[in-house]
Amino acid sequence: FDHILSKSHHQELSYLSEAVVPLLKRDPFRMLPYEISLRILSYVDDPKTLGKASQVSRLWHLILSDDQTWKTLCERHQYRRLSAAQRITYRQSSRLASIPNVPENMEVDSNVLESMYDPEPLRQVPLSYRSHFKHQYLVDAACNKGGRLAAKHVTSDQAVVTSLEMNGRYIVVALDNSRIYVFAEDGRLIHTLFGHVMGVWAITVLGDTLVSGGCDRDVRVWNLKTGECLQILRGHSSTVRCLKMVDERTAISGSRDNTLRVWDIRSGVCLRELIGHDLSVRCIEVVGDICVSGSYDFKAKVWRISTGECLHTLEGHYSQIYSLAFDGKRIATGSLDTSVRIWDAATGNLIFVLQGHTSLVGQLQMKDNTLVTGGSDGAIRVWDLEQGACTQRLAAHDGSVTSLQFSDNRIVSGGSDGRVRVWDMASGQYIRDLSQAFDSVWRVAFKEEKVVILASQRRQIHMELISFSPKGEDKE
Amino acid sequence: MVTLVSSDGVSFNVDQKVASRSALIKNMMEDIGEDAGEIPVPNVSSNVLKKVIEYCTYHKDDPLPQSGEDEGTSAADKKKSTVIDDWDYNFLQVDQEMLFEIILTANYLDIKPLLDVGCKTVANMIKGKTPEEIRRTFNIANDFTPEEEAQIRRENEWAEDR
Repeated sequence: FDHILSKSHHQELSYLSEAVVPLLKRDPFRMLPYEISLRILSYVDDPKTLGKASQVSRLWHLILSDDQTWKTLCERHQYRRLSAAQRITYRQSSRLASIPNVPENMEVDSNVLESMYDPEPLRQVPLSYRSHFKHQYLVDAACNKGGRLAAKHVTSDQAVVTSLEMNGRYIVVALDNSRIYVFAEDGRLIHTLFGHVMGVWAITVLGDTLVSGGCDRDVRVWNLKTGECLQILRGHSSTVRCLKMVDERTAISGSRDNTLRVWDIRSGVCLRELIGHDLSVRCIEVVGDICVSGSYDFKAKVWRISTGECLHTLEGHYSQIYSLAFDGKRIATGSLDTSVRIWDAATGNLIFVLQGHTSLVGQLQMKDNTLVTGGSDGAIRVWDLEQGACTQRLAAHDGSVTSLQFSDNRIVSGGSDGRVRVWDMASGQYIRDLSQAFDSVWRVAFKEEKVVILASQRRQIHMELISFSPKGEDKE
Repeated sequence: MVTLVSSDGVSFNVDQKVASRSALIKNMMEDIGEDAGEIPVPNVSSNVLKKVIEYCTYHKDDPLPQSGEDEGTSAADKKKSTVIDDWDYNFLQVDQEMLFEIILTANYLDIKPLLDVGCKTVANMIKGKTPEEIRRTFNIANDFTPEEEAQIRRENEWAEDR
């Protein structure tokens, strides 16, 4: 055979090659069993190629309509699993107002200068991983480039935004001029809550219940549906600085009077007082029956809520504790001493001291083995809690980081420089600025596919709700 | 030593350590005991079996993959998942029929790392290509009607821009 080839002309050979080469090619999906074909596709991690591949032939199209491929792709892209996604209410409730820019059921409030909201059409719950992937992919793309203003409110309050809470139903904003604004999740302003006589410095939301507290020392319980104040809880002798709901009946407050109080919010009774801190209680976190408090006395304490017992005192910081995260196992504390300390909640032992920030660490979020911190030095740091090492350092803002939140894929931060910025979680790369530049950003928060920004601009408060929901998604 | 016999009757003497790369053969040897003697490997021809033994010999000292578990979803695994090391890459520079036979054999003999690297190789042949380029790569006929083709193209437009 070699002999024949060596005697052949170039032309003959190229003819031969044209005839032979296609014969050496095989359609892998015809030759390989179905599950191996799916395995191959699970290594194609870009949806563009999968889209193209489904246009190759009927067989390829058939294999690519298998939801297993898209399930794998959802996992690769760290998109929430479909079963979990289905539990989220995708605006299943009937729409109250169908005409944009006409807020319905809104109480008259002379402080509101500008108010618009533009809700999205009802979205179907995704039925397949493919449609789920598609949706998440489009949301992802919009986060990086796109999005639309779903609501905007400007108020004349010359005040500081002290807190922002966002759950699936409500967006609640508290101000240091005693007001609380309640928005529906689509950005419609539904209530202004009057009642506190001085600045509101802490709020917590669970379901339809809001608990608030502030300089007037009162803790108030509200029904967010009706805007009614249900209880006024009295006992603290100084400003209420932090609040957390334990369950539907129970809330915990921390105060400048150095104590924490556990309340039955239905009956309005103070169940117990947690005494032990020597100075103002600045931050609290609750998981199950355990409450962790951080204080200006440089210490954090671990409490059993049901008994009021102090289980551990975490000592080590040499300045005030301003921020705290707790996942049930580990506690992270951020301090004016510029360090972050990681503690074992069960033993109270120190695990790591994380150093790197050059100023107050006021922002903390922890999830699994990842901790993200933001400081008054304008930096955001990402830490690996298994190694106790800093994996990313972002020069995030000129001025302090006033707010931050992260998900599997990205970090959103707000700064006193008036910027709201989006960062890639894995690489630490800057992705974009959301919204225009304000004078200063008080708070940012995101949930699912919406970001809320509370910022000040020319002494007015701006609330913007930016949505990344894809428009005109076809039904599959 | 253990002797593997291909579908066309060719015998290969291999080290037990090499043969244990195959979870199937490893289990067989454990069941039968030390003196396994001849193990027939039907549906695998000698030229393919020879290749697969070459792979197992090269990788005989690798840590065995954890049984039953698929690749994790951590960021590190995600990165690793599309990388093929140089030796494996060169090893799999064969014609398509041989490549797919190797994948089939890896699946049959339960050699997970080889199955994975084979699947990755095919995936890399698909990545970044247009439908026409994929058809040419694997000599596939376009059996869509023009209407169907247009319809499917529309279905997939969403993935195009980012």
